[in-house]
Amino acid sequence: MVGSPVLLIAIPLLAAFLIPLLGIFWKELVRIIPGLVLGYLTILSASLYIDVLNTGTIVETIAGWRAPWGINLVFSPLTGFLATLMTFIGFIIWLYSYRFKRNVEFEAAKKYFIFLMLLVAGSIGIVITGDIFNQFVFIEIVGISAYALTAFYTGRNSAEAAFKYLIMGSLSASALLIAIILIYSQLGTLNMAEIAANIHNMPPQYRVTAMIFFIIGIGVEAEIFPLNGWAPDAYTEAPGPVGSAFAGIVVKAGIYAMVRMMFTLFDISGPMQILIIIGMITLVVAETSALRQVQLKRMLAYSSIGQMGLVLVAFGMGTKAGVFAALFLMLNHAIIKPLLFFSGSYLVFNSKEKNISEMSGLGKLMPFTAAFFALGSFAIVGLPPFAGFWSKLSVLTAAANDGLLLIIAIVLLVSIVEIVYYFRVINRIYFFKFDKATSVVPHKPRVNALIAMAILAILILVIGFYPDSVSEILNRASEDLLNTPDYIKNVLSTGQSLTY
Amino acid sequence: MKKTIVILLLAAFGYFLAITFLDPDFEKDRNRNGVKNVYLEKTVSELKTANTVTAIVVNFRGFDTLGEVTVLFLAASALGSILFKKRHHVGERSITLPASSIVSTGAKLLFPAIILLGVYVFVHGHLTPGGGFQGGTIIATGFLLMLISYRNFSISHNILSVIESLAGILFVVIGLMGFINGGTFLQNFMPTGTLNNLFSGGIIPIIYILVGFKVATELTGLIYTILHEKG
Repeated sequence: MVGSPVLLIAIPLLAAFLIPLLGIFWKELVRIIPGLVLGYLTILSASLYIDVLNTGTIVETIAGWRAPWGINLVFSPLTGFLATLMTFIGFIIWLYSYRFKRNVEFEAAKKYFIFLMLLVAGSIGIVITGDIFNQFVFIEIVGISAYALTAFYTGRNSAEAAFKYLIMGSLSASALLIAIILIYSQLGTLNMAEIAANIHNMPPQYRVTAMIFFIIGIGVEAEIFPLNGWAPDAYTEAPGPVGSAFAGIVVKAGIYAMVRMMFTLFDISGPMQILIIIGMITLVVAETSALRQVQLKRMLAYSSIGQMGLVLVAFGMGTKAGVFAALFLMLNHAIIKPLLFFSGSYLVFNSKEKNISEMSGLGKLMPFTAAFFALGSFAIVGLPPFAGFWSKLSVLTAAANDGLLLIIAIVLLVSIVEIVYYFRVINRIYFFKFDKATSVVPHKPRVNALIAMAILAILILVIGFYPDSVSEILNRASEDLLNTPDYIKNVLSTGQSLTY
Repeated sequence: MKKTIVILLLAAFGYFLAITFLDPDFEKDRNRNGVKNVYLEKTVSELKTANTVTAIVVNFRGFDTLGEVTVLFLAASALGSILFKKRHHVGERSITLPASSIVSTGAKLLFPAIILLGVYVFVHGHLTPGGGFQGGTIIATGFLLMLISYRNFSISHNILSVIESLAGILFVVIGLMGFINGGTFLQNFMPTGTLNNLFSGGIIPIIYILVGFKVATELTGLIYTILHEKG
């Protein structure tokens, strides 16, 4: 053992408290420390994950109390996969934004790096915790750092976006708390495994109510349809790298919480109509809204919401193929969407309005950035040699296995819509003439940003050409999610008695 | 149309709240296998802590408390960063009404007593009701009283943030020491002493004192930031 899952939370918190002190001595440390921490977390969670794949789930108790009494962390093939993905994307985002506000404003940059690190740490916490109240605390950590990052530019629009997000987030957090209270009042425990073992003893009306409140509570972070009004504003107004953190990390944590709640906590097996219906509505509404957007980041935000709808549809099938497809989609989206946000924010860097119409002819002036954007667009709409193709194909085959023809039809239709709005942008970048009066003044990306984008682009190509390289991992993860009895057994049997 | 949908949704929301909370059956003892009996028993026998609530907050669910402390830290820094550009130079206030002489004379007398009460509450957190969060808030109210009574009363933001950071760091370090010594994060590694003594409960009082310092400095910093915001 190289370390233990609790370090994934403890080290970023320690660093967050340490950064204000270190910033007094040397201002550059404020930038370096988060990178070191996120790099260390990536290595730690990757090595823990390899351990888990070889030897089985790690369940860690905290404060020496075993599962039903204390809080515990579960590092399984599923949660380990997501935690590794999140730490990696977090590190890439740090690399991209290393020079953020450098030589301009120290205080603001310090806050930015603290919030970014805690956003990643909170998302990891949501994924690896095995306790519903602990999950609530991490959702709060993620929420507050997300509100602060949304309001980062302290303008009128960003304040409005952050306020909207704050109101929705706080209301949904109250709903989540009500759900937790209901479960605790009926079962007397907060441990996920213990709840899962006893959930069928709970009277049905409490179970249904608790589930509805759970869906409302988590739905805001997971960006499901009626609760995602904050997302387009927040993605647009927040700094570029923060949009990619929302799309690559926070939403993934929200979706995980939702799915863990449905599959494990409430122990539902077989197809889940509610997830399929919510996902379908989210998918269709978001993709058709994306078509109408004139601002680049807003379009990306709606596309991100739509992809999450598709993920929920795939999870909702409830079969192993469906879960596999959903996890594959999450992996691809976590790689592709940050690339789109990274390159997209450089393409509209000098523009006030951030409109798509201002991007004419940038392909010749910013060849690398434009190429990365095009690559990301091709991948996300699902063109064959890129990563997105395989995940969309696996969704379609999973739906075909169950004979869900309507899902296939809608997914294919929506893909055409996606192609229209992404290709509209690419067409403008490459085949329109650069016009001094209307186009943006190009802004060359820094080396660190180019490296970050290149890493993601290479990953997209690798997964695209060798999809088998990840299918084994995803298979293990989807088996893990569907196997509730093993989850309960693992958690409740682990733990040492107290020794003083 | 929109309003009808909103009303319908609210009605559905209210209905579900009503059916569950009108009859929650709290009195029925269906929690025989729940956690509460273990908490009540182990608090006395193993943690030697007189206040069970403190034992639950700081030890059984200490990880949540670390999370909540982080939430407070985040909220305070977020407010600081949003109001940062609007802040005046040191010494300038957004509220400039002078306090009456009754308030300013009384504040001078009350201030030490309030600080002492706050310290008492968080030092005795493991013995009596209250603890770090409550004690810290009491101390912050003392500073609030001084800030509104004396227009030239100022606190160094740097000192506040150093104390705040140190308290947070020590909390995590104590957790990690349990990890290195005993095996798990936040596990007790100190002698627990005898029940009801001031020096009992192992790391519980130490953590609560740190929480007290952290909450006090954070809330004081918050009040100071808001008071110096440009209107």
